[in-house]
Amino acid sequence: MTLALIGVNYKTAPIELRERIAISREELPETTRALAAVPGVSECMIVSTCNRVELLAAVDSPEVDLTGFLHRYFGLDPALLAPHIYEQHDQDAVRHLFRVAASLDSMVVGEPQILGQVKEAFAVARASGTVAGQLEHLLQSAFAAAKKVRSETEIGANSVSIASVAVDLARKIFGSLQGRTVFLVGAGKMSELAARHLVQQGAGAILVSNRTQARAQRMADEFRGRVIPFEQLHQAASEADIVISSTGAPHPIFRPEDGQAFLHRRRNRPMFFIDIAVPRDVDPAMGKLEGIFVYDIDDLQHVAAAHMAERSREAGDAEALIAAEVERFQQRQRTVNVAPAIVALQRQAEEIRQAELRRVQSRLGALSAEQTAAVDALTRGLVNKFLHPPMQALKQAAREGDSERMEVLCDAWSVPVGAEREAEPPAAGSGWTGGETEKAEGAEVSESSVESSR
Amino acid sequence: MYLLWLRVAAILYAAASVAVFPAVLYSLSRWRKICVHLGGLALFFHFVSVVEMLVQAHRWMPVGVREIESLLGLAVAGLFFLVWWIYDAISLGIFALPVTFFLVLVPALGPDRYTFPSEGVRVSWLVAHIAALLISYVALAFSMLASVLYLIQEQRIKSKLKPGQDSWWAPFEWLPPLDTLERIAHATLEFGFPCMTVGLVIGSVLAQETPLGASYFLDPKIIAAFISWVVYVLLLLVRRSAGLRGRRAAYLSGAVFLVMIAVWAANLFSHVHRYGAQ
Repeated sequence: MTLALIGVNYKTAPIELRERIAISREELPETTRALAAVPGVSECMIVSTCNRVELLAAVDSPEVDLTGFLHRYFGLDPALLAPHIYEQHDQDAVRHLFRVAASLDSMVVGEPQILGQVKEAFAVARASGTVAGQLEHLLQSAFAAAKKVRSETEIGANSVSIASVAVDLARKIFGSLQGRTVFLVGAGKMSELAARHLVQQGAGAILVSNRTQARAQRMADEFRGRVIPFEQLHQAASEADIVISSTGAPHPIFRPEDGQAFLHRRRNRPMFFIDIAVPRDVDPAMGKLEGIFVYDIDDLQHVAAAHMAERSREAGDAEALIAAEVERFQQRQRTVNVAPAIVALQRQAEEIRQAELRRVQSRLGALSAEQTAAVDALTRGLVNKFLHPPMQALKQAAREGDSERMEVLCDAWSVPVGAEREAEPPAAGSGWTGGETEKAEGAEVSESSVESSR
Repeated sequence: MYLLWLRVAAILYAAASVAVFPAVLYSLSRWRKICVHLGGLALFFHFVSVVEMLVQAHRWMPVGVREIESLLGLAVAGLFFLVWWIYDAISLGIFALPVTFFLVLVPALGPDRYTFPSEGVRVSWLVAHIAALLISYVALAFSMLASVLYLIQEQRIKSKLKPGQDSWWAPFEWLPPLDTLERIAHATLEFGFPCMTVGLVIGSVLAQETPLGASYFLDPKIIAAFISWVVYVLLLLVRRSAGLRGRRAAYLSGAVFLVMIAVWAANLFSHVHRYGAQ
């Protein structure tokens, strides 16, 4: 069994191509089922976001054509897609998935949405019946690794967009933004974005003022706000806790004397001015007034850039964590893969024990129940003690991925090296070690059975 | 037995004082839980100790310096947990928990050697007088602390500090939002005022009952206490009418706090109102 991952993302494909193969939330279950119907695919799921479309599948062999599915399903010319697609198998695919879930492969490294998107894609695949043991195990490990990255590094600790930096600052001043009044002076894209962030955090009333009344009205409608005529700007400003200013005025429209008037009318309640206009709308001298906080576009950008640099530093630690988690996952998989050999070894020893007991039974004569139990315990104990060293050696070799030593050990004890599961779909346990697996009889084992055999 | 509980409380306060630093400075939620649990347990044992101490002595009032210290520590810890519960502001624990520990440490060493010997003060209303005034002092101290932290946070935000930048304000990342600090400063101030008023009224009535009568009020300590009450009223009025906050509010709170310290210290010089006075 092989793990295969193919896809395109913001690094490999332009938006024009990504939007042609983007899969909406509604279409995702059907597309996932269609992928599962491809011959050779035993389990699969699809992650589709604005920045990536990735197909992840457990396939019978690396030759299973997942790229062909993309061409056929979306009606794309293979020559169009080929330069932009990437394909990974087994350990590389595991590493890629772990990095994606941990937001190390995101456009904005450390952004928290991607983990939720991967979880959602997994939930859809699970509901569609296209994942079972193998992907289940892989995805749970990926989620655990992503959680570890978030909790053990500061990768997502600070905001990196100007709008979210502004929201963070507003929180430092006002605590909860619940019920706070936001005044948009100028109806530009940036102020709209900042206002949207503030509203998401619970900001209350929205006031909008713009030289073009119609534009102000459009934005006010969007936020269910109130339009303030531009001439009444200074009267209305004192109502606002947060003022986002982005007009095209050539001179400051808010001066220190205005600030003093606002504070007087507000009985010294603080005000936060977010000045994203160039040239600036707020006189920097206003920031010297007690109770008034002024951040211009440069201030916000400096904070965002510093946060971004901090994230880059944290990303290094996160990469090391992911590498360790991938290795741990692989080790677990290898240990689980040795389980059939261990079970075969135990079975073989048990058969020998039973046969020997039968052989000496006539010579022992009639034994009481206690005596029979004592003989049984004695022989079982001997067998277990005898099997302990080879079992430990097998597990050690599996953990280290030393297939040669595993083969030698298995040859010495006349047991098969590995086995594929008999039941379908495969249960958690068999995985992608990059090594070959042979079929062994009665190999219905799990990680817990390996543990119990220790 | 009360000493044992007090010692347990002191150890728990010490542990909570240690735990509060990583909880606040590094925003570690595990340490935050540890700190709250340890502090909560300490408060419980402290309360048990104070009640047992007063019951054992067959009186419901603290009559010695160490007993008063223990009660003051209880008021500080109690108010801190109240503020934490209402405003989710564990940051104040950086000050409140170590202060409580040091207040509890000396009483936990052993019982009082010096107590009020006067029979006249051993009336049950006295405990209300002492408790109300202690709570008002603690509330005022919290208000001043919150005002000072407000100033620091305000300057920090105005300094437009970037992450990793070396600055005076860099170590104060953990401070609560300005609005929370302002609300704590205002609420504790308003909470302390009725306590101080009730404490002074009860004290005045009790003083009338002493052999000194009205002349009790000529004592400098008593006069200072009433002056501090007047300054307190002024502070409240100014804050309320002008919406005073920030630097001026911090200065005013500081002034009232200094008067309060002076009133407290006057116990050492007063002829009629001090430990060991007849």
